[in-house]
This record gives sequence, C-alpha cells and structure tokens, in this order.
Amino acid sequence: MVRTLSDLRPVYVVGVGWHRYQNPSETPYVSLGLAAIREALTDAKIEWPAVESSYVATALLGMAAGRPMLRHLGTTGAPLVHIENASASGSTAFRQACIEVAGGISDVALAVGVDKRNPVQRSNTGIDHLADDAIVPFTHFALLTNEYAARYNASVEDIALVAVKNHRNGAKNPNAQRQQERTLQEVLGGKKVSGALTSLQCTPIGEGAAAVIVASDEGIRRYGINPDRAIRVTASVGRSERIYPPGVGFDAALTRETAELALAEAKRQPKDLDVIELHDAFTVEELHYIESIGLCPEGDGVQMLKDGALDIGGRCAINPSGGLIAMGHPIGPTGIGQIGEITKQLRGEAGERQHPHARVGMAHMVGVGAVCYVHIMEGRR
Amino acid sequence: MSTDKLLKSNIYSFGSGGPRGSAPVLLGGQCRCGYVFFPMQAYGCEQCGNHGDALTPCELSTGGTLLAEAVVHLHADKNRPAPFTIVKVALDDGPVVRSVLAEDSAAVSPGQRMTARLVPVRSGESGETVLDLRFTAAI
Ligand SMILES: [Zn+2]
Repeated sequence: MVRTLSDLRPVYVVGVGWHRYQNPSETPYVSLGLAAIREALTDAKIEWPAVESSYVATALLGMAAGRPMLRHLGTTGAPLVHIENASASGSTAFRQACIEVAGGISDVALAVGVDKRNPVQRSNTGIDHLADDAIVPFTHFALLTNEYAARYNASVEDIALVAVKNHRNGAKNPNAQRQQERTLQEVLGGKKVSGALTSLQCTPIGEGAAAVIVASDEGIRRYGINPDRAIRVTASVGRSERIYPPGVGFDAALTRETAELALAEAKRQPKDLDVIELHDAFTVEELHYIESIGLCPEGDGVQMLKDGALDIGGRCAINPSGGLIAMGHPIGPTGIGQIGEITKQLRGEAGERQHPHARVGMAHMVGVGAVCYVHIMEGRR
Repeated sequence: MSTDKLLKSNIYSFGSGGPRGSAPVLLGGQCRCGYVFFPMQAYGCEQCGNHGDALTPCELSTGGTLLAEAVVHLHADKNRPAPFTIVKVALDDGPVVRSVLAEDSAAVSPGQRMTARLVPVRSGESGETVLDLRFTAAI
C-alpha cells in the first residue's frame, strides 16, 4: 500500500443499526435493510439526504439489489455501489466507505449489509479437483479442528468451550439469531455435522441487516453530530491469500499478516485490544485467530478460554455480540454488524454485554476465496 | 485390455502396475520456478505468474502424510451419501490435497503415512467399471 487509512483525514463511525439476524422468513430483504439504515440514521441523528454515498454489501441477493431498497428513503441521486466479497462483503463495504470519507470525496457515507439465505453460486474455474463436491465449509473447518487438536493436544471439549462462551454472549444480544445460553453438554450433544463439529459449534446462516454511517470531522460539524459518540477508525487493512508452506493453514496465516499490518497502522500492540469481533463461523476458528492476532502464543488459546480471559470482563472480550456462532452470519451484514458492536462497546452503550473500560476494538473477517479484513477502532474515553 | 474406466482421467491415471495393481499417479505440474502443483493447469503459476512453456506436466506420487481427517455426518449432496471420511494429505512431492478415505482403510490420525488406490464406484453405460481415487492408510 502506498498509503494507509491512518495517513488520510480522520474518519469516524457515527451511527449504527440492525435488523435482527434471524432464521429464514418471508420478510423481503427491503424491509430488513431499511430497518437497519433507519436505525443507523436515528442513532447518528441525521436525515437520509446527508448521506453522500452508499456501499451495499450482499452476497446472495443477485444483481443490483440496493437501489430497490434505498429508493424508499427518498430521492437524492447519491452514488451507490454493490460489494460482494464472500463472508467479508460487509467488512469490505465498510472499508470502501471509510476510504471515500478519509480521502475527502465525501463527508458522510453509508455501509449497509443485507442478505437472505439464498443458494450460493460459485463459478466454474475449469480446474477439476479430487473431491471438492464432498468438502463443504464445515468439513474444511472440521479438518482444521482435527489438525489443531492433534498439534496442541487440545480436546474436543476444550474447543467446544468457544461455543459455550459465544452463546452466553449472544443470549444478551437482542439482535442475535441465537439468544439462548448453552451448556457444554448441550453443545457437544447436539447434532453431529462433520468431524468434531456439532451444530451448535457452527454458525446458523440466516437473514438480517446491519448498517453503519461514517463521517469526517467536517461532516460531524455540519450535521451537528455528537462528537463524543463518534468512534474513530484507526486502521483498515484488506489482504488476500498467498501460498503458504504445507501444513500452515491459510486462514490463520492470512489473519496473522493482516492483523499485524492493522496493529502497525494503529500503532497498537495486541495487548492494547479490549474487544475483538472475529470470524468464528466454527469454534476452532476463534482459537486460531486470537493466536494469529497475537493475544497469546500458538496453542495457548484454550488456556485463555478456560481462564475466562476471553469473556466479557476478562482480559480481552472476544465476540461480545455472540459472534457468528450465536449472533449469526447472514453474510452481507456480518462484517458491518461487527463494526456496530465494537462501536457500542467503545461508546459504553453495550448494556448487559458491556466490557468494562473498552477503549480499543478490532473487527476481523475472512472470506472464502480467500480474503481477510481487519479494522481497529478507538473511543475517546 | 481392461474394461475399467477412470471417473476423472483428467487429474489422475493408472500407475505403472496396471489398472488396479498399484497406486495411481496424480497428474500435476511443475513451473520453471520450482513450484509443484496439482492438478495440472495452463492458466499460470500461482507462485510466480509464469505461464505457457514455463509450466510442464508431471506425475505426482500419492504417497504422503496425513495432516487431518474428518468424518462427515451431514452432507446435502445426495451423490455423496454420508457418512464418509475426508482426509487432508501433504504429498511427498509437495502439494496438499484433500479427498475421500477408502471405506476399507484402517483408521487414520494425523501423522499417518498415506497412499491412494483406485476403487470401483459404479458401473458405466456399457457395463465397464468406473474407478475413482481414494486415499488409504499405507501399510
Ligand atoms: Zn512459477
């Protein structure tokens, strides 16, 4: 990168909103998206015409789904672009909105994610594989679970504790798809999916929406936005997969290099992080990623989990929203919902889920394919 | 003459020992830069970006070491009725591949030495036997 986001003018999250993540329903995506956008506008205390540019993240709605949704907010003629980047679609849309504002093109921009659980379509590359039709994402992560357990002598029970924690957090989140605490016995006793993974250790793909509004100092002044509730974005990094040595998981390696760049950009150390929202679509991922981000040496994640260091109120709250496992993963909205959760935490507005004295937060997403996005945000308190 | 037919003759072939006599070989490729990949493709090297003459086909041994295994309990595709086991194998020749474990293989865990063989999966249109590649614990 020639320049990073932190080299440009400051950009802040000033409004956040959701439509609850939920099981597939008859509700049109337009209703889901509008609910999230209107909540974000209300949160920022601005009107729709203030939004100078929109980024719509969606992976499963088909071509150009944004305009039929945004038109119901009133006619402004502001530019609109759709972003599809697999699981990281929302994170990517957020990054582009931040870049536009930090670069001085706009003073106020919207990133909104919305999706319904439609079939995933992948293009044919023309390259055949031995058995790709037999290896869906949960089996990819079942293999990683087996590898992690063997390498670090971790048990199936240890790894499943991630799901117990994240369901406990999700039970306190009114926007979560799963809002029920689960015991280790319930997690382990659930339906077997693949390898050691049971259904409560896997994200429930559903539907929903999340929206955030970002603004410059000028935008904040012009629209009389409360600067004390504005959360600065201090780093934004996107990377894609490279070739790694055999036996090195690309998911963890890609997260390691992306998080390192983001921490350097924000001039922060892993120990400075108070809250992290990360891509825990499957339990083992949370362990891989906290180790890759640098919270602890490889293989020590289970001990941190058992010590309560990853709980709300612990050393660093991981997935206080409930994460992808409990809050859910409607694809397009997910990365934007993470930014919303970090914003609430850093404002001190997370209610029952509030991590005490949260000042520095990180949001992390990976997307199949494979891409990784990391953002760091800091509150004023 | 064998009446056996390969399900994916574009990415593996019979080994030197005949149709079912020995381990099959994987049809990989090597770049001038040294990078070895599977399967063979002519689009360009993932390591250095070279294409054309820089990429040459090469046969890869199915010998390798198991990195991970998972028994799949749920699978939506009816052509692959669960349960079956997926293995991730670091080939001695370089690439890491993932495929199905032979049903009659001994139980495997990470570190296990692996090989592959061709197993009948169905009958073809003219009565021939269709073979597909399965990994199995090396004896
Ligand atoms: Zn090359």
